[in-house]
Amino acid sequence: MLFRLKNILPIVAAGALMAAPAAFAAPAKPDAVTAPQLETIVKQKDATTADHSKFKELQRNFKTGPEVTQACLTCHTEAAKQVQHTKHWTWESLDPKTGQMRGKKNIINNYCTSPISNEKDCMACHAGYGWKDNSFDFTVQKNVDCLICHDTTGTYRKLPGYAGHPVYKRVEFPPKSGKFVEPADLKKVAQNIGLPSRSNCGSCHFFGAGANGAKHGDLDSSLQHPGKYLDVHMNEKGLNFTCVTCHATTGHVVSGSRYNVAAAVRGPAHIRGKKDESPAACQSCHSDKPHHESLLNQHTDKLACQTCHIPQYARDGIGTEASWDWSQATVMGPDGKPTASKDSAGRRKFDTKKGTWEWDSYVIPEYRWYNGVSTYKVIGDKIDPTKTVQINEVGGSPNDPDSRIWPTKVHRGKQPYDKVNNYLTVQHTAGEDATALWHNFDWKKAIGTGMKAAGLKFSGEYGFVDTEMTWPITHMVAPKHDALSCAQCHSKHGRLEGIEGVYLPSRDGSKWLDMAGWTLVLLSLIGVLVHGTLRIYTSKNKGH
Amino acid sequence: MLKVVGGFFAGIVVVMLLVYNFAGSLMFREIPSPFGVEETVARIQQNIQNAGNGWALSGLRNAAKPIEMDGGNVLPVLMIEACSTRYSGPILKEDSLRFLSNLMPCKISVYKKNDGKTYIGMMNAELIGSLFGSMVGGIMKKVSADQAKFIVFDASKPAPAMIKGTPGAASGGSGAAADGGC
Repeated sequence: MLFRLKNILPIVAAGALMAAPAAFAAPAKPDAVTAPQLETIVKQKDATTADHSKFKELQRNFKTGPEVTQACLTCHTEAAKQVQHTKHWTWESLDPKTGQMRGKKNIINNYCTSPISNEKDCMACHAGYGWKDNSFDFTVQKNVDCLICHDTTGTYRKLPGYAGHPVYKRVEFPPKSGKFVEPADLKKVAQNIGLPSRSNCGSCHFFGAGANGAKHGDLDSSLQHPGKYLDVHMNEKGLNFTCVTCHATTGHVVSGSRYNVAAAVRGPAHIRGKKDESPAACQSCHSDKPHHESLLNQHTDKLACQTCHIPQYARDGIGTEASWDWSQATVMGPDGKPTASKDSAGRRKFDTKKGTWEWDSYVIPEYRWYNGVSTYKVIGDKIDPTKTVQINEVGGSPNDPDSRIWPTKVHRGKQPYDKVNNYLTVQHTAGEDATALWHNFDWKKAIGTGMKAAGLKFSGEYGFVDTEMTWPITHMVAPKHDALSCAQCHSKHGRLEGIEGVYLPSRDGSKWLDMAGWTLVLLSLIGVLVHGTLRIYTSKNKGH
Repeated sequence: MLKVVGGFFAGIVVVMLLVYNFAGSLMFREIPSPFGVEETVARIQQNIQNAGNGWALSGLRNAAKPIEMDGGNVLPVLMIEACSTRYSGPILKEDSLRFLSNLMPCKISVYKKNDGKTYIGMMNAELIGSLFGSMVGGIMKKVSADQAKFIVFDASKPAPAMIKGTPGAASGGSGAAADGGC
C-alpha cells in the first residue's frame, strides 16, 4: 500500500505542478495599443463643420490664456456665461433637496482639506485663470479657461502655483527636480480644439488630491487607455466611450455629479441625447430591468447596478489612497530636514509637508444604503472630536424607496481641528510665504492664516481628529462575466454581511426555523431506518 | 478471516480518502500577510536577497495580467520566482532527476482574496522533496528551511521597493540572465 502511495503521490504532485502554470499560461494578446484616442480626435475633426485653424481670430500668437478666451468668445458668445454657472467655475454646488451649499469652496475634505488660502496651487484644476485669493472676480468672462477642457493636442498643462494659468515660459517642475515644463503653443492649441477627451477630464479628475488615482478610487490614468477588463464602456478597442458620452452636457453643465447622484433611477432605457435628468446613470441606457433573467431584475429595486458590476475599484497597479494622516506632517527626517518616501509600489508614503498615506489597489468596496443625498461638513460646522467625524453623511435606508445598496470608497483621514471651537480647520499649506506650512512647517501659523482667509476664528489650539469621507463608486465597470456571483453576497460572510434591513437568503435565517427543519430531516431518517429494520426483521421471521 | 480481510480493505479505503482529502493542503501552504500585496512581495524579495545560500531572484510574474489582456478580471496574483544554484545544481546534474526542473525556479505567490486580505502561497518543499528519494529530500529540506525565513517580516523596518521584472535580465520572467537566479 505504502509502496503504491509513494508511486502515486509523485505523479499526482508532478501533474498538479505542471497543470498549475498551464492554467496561468493563457497566451497574452499582443499589446496593440495604437492611438485610438487620436483616431477619435481625427474622426471628430473630420466630422466637424468648422476648422478652427482657418479662423482669422485664431491666427494670432497668443501670449496668455485669457487672450485665447477672448478670441473664442468672438464666436462662442454665450460660452463663458454658461461656464460661469457651473461648478467647474464656481466650485460650489447647491443641494436642491437640503438647500446646503457644498463644493470645494465650502467643504473641508480629508485629502488636501481646503483650497482657501491655497488658491494659487489648487486652481491648477479650476476652469479659469487668476483665482489666487478672495479677490477673484467670478464675472470676468475672459478668465474662463476654454482650453483645459477642449485642447486636443495634449500640450496644454496647468501647474500648481500659477493660479490657474498655464506656464508662459519654460519652468522647472517640480522645483529642483531637474525636469522642465515647456510653455504650450497657445496658437496651436486654440486652433486644435474639440470635444473633451478622457485626457482632458482626467487631467484633473484622475489626479485629484495631488497624485494619480489618489482621490476617487474609480478614476485614474489607467482610464486614458483602458482595456475591456477595466471598463467595458471605455474599452479603447471596443465601445471607446469618453467621459462625456455618459456625462452628457447641456450649456456646459456636465451631467452626473457625486454631489447629486441619481441613486435609484427607474423605468425604461432612454434614447441618448434625449433630455434626461440623469443621463449619466446606468439605467439611462440599460433601463432598470436590464437582465434576461427575471430573478436578477428583481434585485434592481434594492441594489445599484454598480454593486454587482464593479466588484473591485482601483483595478490596476496605480491603486488609490486609503488614508491620509496629516498629524505626521512637519515630522523631519533623521537629519532634521524635510524628507519624503515611497511605498513598495512607488506611491507616495510619507512627506514632511503632508504626512503619511496608505494605498490599496483592487479594493473591495464598502457597501451601504444610499439615496443620492450626502450631507457635508461645511466650513465652520461643529464636530465631536471624541468620535470619527463624517465629512459627508451618506443618506439612505432600507425603508427609503429611493435608496439602493451602493459600493463606496471610504477614505480615512486624520486632520487638524480647532480644539476650543470644535471645528475642522482651514490651513494655509502651499506657498513660499512665512506662514505656509510647506515652507515653515509651523501648524499654528498655517492654521492661523487659513482660518483668517476662511473668515473663522482660530483659538490657537489645534489637535488632530479622525475623519471619514465616503465616495460612491461608479466607474471601472467590469465585463458582465466578472460581475459578483450570487454566493459572494448570499453567504454568511459575504460582501453584504453588514447591510441591514433586507432579508438575504443564505445570509439570514431563523434559528428556530432551521432547527425545526433539521429536526424533520432527523425524524425522517430515523423513520426510514426503523422502517427498514422492521422490514428486514419481519422478512427473516417469514423465512423461518 | 473475512472480517480481517474486510477490515484491511476498509482501512485502505479510509487511508486513501484521507490522502485524497488532505494531500493538497499538505503539499501547499497558505499564510495571511500583515501587509498589502506589493509590500509583501517587496519584503519577501528583500528576504530572498539577504538569505544567502546562493539564493537570487529569478523574476516576478503577474498571473492576473494575461487574464486582463483577455478582457477578464481576477484579484492580483504576483509570483516571486527565486532560485539557488547551490540547491538546483545537484538535482540538475542527475539525468534521472532532471524532470524535477519543472519545480524550478521556486515560486512564492502573493495574492489578494475577496476578504480584502493578502495571502502568501507556497509549496511544501520538504514534503514534496521527500517523495523523490533521500538526495532530493535532503536538498528540499534545506530549501524548505530557507523558504520559512523568506516570510519572516520585521514590520519595524521600512518597506523596500518592489523589484519588478528580473534582476539582471532584459525582460521579465524567468528567462533570466546569468545573475538572475538559476
